[in-house]
Amino acid sequence: MAALGMLDSANLNGGQKLAVKYFTVAIALFGAQVLFGLLAGIQYLKPDFLYGVLDFSVNRMVHINAMVVWLLYGFIGSTYWLLEDESGHSVVGLALGNLIFWVLTLAVAVVVVVYLLIQVGPGDQSTIWLINEGREYIEAPRWADIGIVVSVLVFFFNVAATFAKGKYTGIGGVLVLDLVALAGLYLAGVFYTPNISVDQYWWWWVIHLWVEATWEVLVGCLMAYALIKTLGVRRKIVETWLYIEVALMFGSGILGLGHHYFWIGTPEYWFTIGGFFSALEPIPLVAMVVHSVFDSGVHKMKNTNHPALAWIIAHAFGNFFGAGVWGFMHTLPQINLYTHGTQWSASHGHLAFFGAYATLVIGFVYLALQKWRGNVWMSGGLADNGWKWKWALGLLHLGMIGMVMGLLISGYEQSQIERAIEGSTWTGYFAAQAHHWFQQGIYWRQIFGWVFAAGFVLLAWDLMTIGKRETRPALVVKEEAAAA
Amino acid sequence: MIQPVELADFFTVFFSAAMVILFGALYALLFAYSRVKSVPRLMHLAYSAYAGLFVSVLVLGDAANLFQNTFWTFIVVLMLVGYLLAPHGIWHLCTRTHEHEHEDESEVQARNFFQQP
Repeated sequence: MAALGMLDSANLNGGQKLAVKYFTVAIALFGAQVLFGLLAGIQYLKPDFLYGVLDFSVNRMVHINAMVVWLLYGFIGSTYWLLEDESGHSVVGLALGNLIFWVLTLAVAVVVVVYLLIQVGPGDQSTIWLINEGREYIEAPRWADIGIVVSVLVFFFNVAATFAKGKYTGIGGVLVLDLVALAGLYLAGVFYTPNISVDQYWWWWVIHLWVEATWEVLVGCLMAYALIKTLGVRRKIVETWLYIEVALMFGSGILGLGHHYFWIGTPEYWFTIGGFFSALEPIPLVAMVVHSVFDSGVHKMKNTNHPALAWIIAHAFGNFFGAGVWGFMHTLPQINLYTHGTQWSASHGHLAFFGAYATLVIGFVYLALQKWRGNVWMSGGLADNGWKWKWALGLLHLGMIGMVMGLLISGYEQSQIERAIEGSTWTGYFAAQAHHWFQQGIYWRQIFGWVFAAGFVLLAWDLMTIGKRETRPALVVKEEAAAA
Repeated sequence: MIQPVELADFFTVFFSAAMVILFGALYALLFAYSRVKSVPRLMHLAYSAYAGLFVSVLVLGDAANLFQNTFWTFIVVLMLVGYLLAPHGIWHLCTRTHEHEHEDESEVQARNFFQQP
């Protein structure tokens, strides 16, 4: 064991050494997401900015793809982090897992370079394989698709085989089953069809069933582990809640898919299915908020890692507001007819992704850093009063809320002028884009984007320095309490 | 099957839908807090929050033309009943999952945490 406060891989087990590699790339990609988001935001205000050099379509694509990939890296890293700890067994096939990390990272780098440099020209079968598959959010070319599937299968093998050889836990069981769905669903986004309705039908299997089903369950597993580690909540409690949340999430989330099928040419019965299950979808989010508050109250907020717990609480509330409130505001088909695909969707997407996923990954990175530095003190009374993590959390949330409200105003104007008044015509589209309310919303989105970027810089700085000069060992949870 | 929202009712729909979820959460939180702290007065506030939710659901139903169709009317009733009962269910789950944690707080802290030597 190295000196307290020093970053040393000797403090970590095999899975955790691999996890910190994933976390490092995840934070770098988070930075890329912020950077390309800012560039795309500027292009909304100055359409000729970087035109022909780095077009809006490319910036937006990299912005969204970076988000998807950094969150996936965060989830994979978090899973490797808890794997040996949960199973009581060293990671099976760790060498293969390490190899796949480098292969996947190289593939991501190549895909991003191709996105940035080779996106203009005619599309044919060869471009689907080599340049861009052309499906929104999952534009990665076919070769990369295959690589992603192989990587996820290796990741699944690592997780499943380790739990198979080690001890079974509720968290482990849910995690393994969820990863089967995670890998399997991606296959729905790999094939090509010229029929746009059929394409959209299967495309939503990837997008919705990842985001509103498998990802939610995955973060449920991560949150369960994090609550054991930070608050000392009994395993039996978090695992019982995990089962409840999984049932509620899958019960409402799987057929909640119907709210994406309102306008793509699917049969009318999707109105009833989508409307019914979308009305149920906020219930697990309300339950999670109540439960997290309940547990925090029971444990009087005394915890081993203040920044991690703060981000976990931010996750509970962010998930509730971003997915629950912002989602339900426009999920019924009677209003979704006008809001679908406007900046309303972007407002909901920004708050939901940040609140539900980014927050928890950041919390997990803080958990990892604590142990990486020799299990240092990260509770109250940090050396610098923890100003960096507090300001980072505050600025990131202020920036996000500001962006979300800006997009909300723009989307509200779009839904009225472009959709309701002008009837979704091209004339209506341009009239809405030129309207001063739309412009003002986008202007404020950009200002708060800079605030968010400042928060990210502070977060990155804090992640590199927190616990560096700390000499106190961490407050830790007794094993028998955590394992009870 | 669906009757789209009138332009004049856009804001009403957005606002009432948001209030449905917010009142739902407030109701659940106040309900749980009232039981945890044994403060019966808070239970009145909890049910006041549910009353707010009830009104919000009706306003949403009216503005989104949900009462013009049997299925969507059923959704409104489902929301009213579901949100009324959900906090009871959530509370029941909270207490049942914590039923072995009935020691007082100092005992819990003493058992669960210690300073590393």
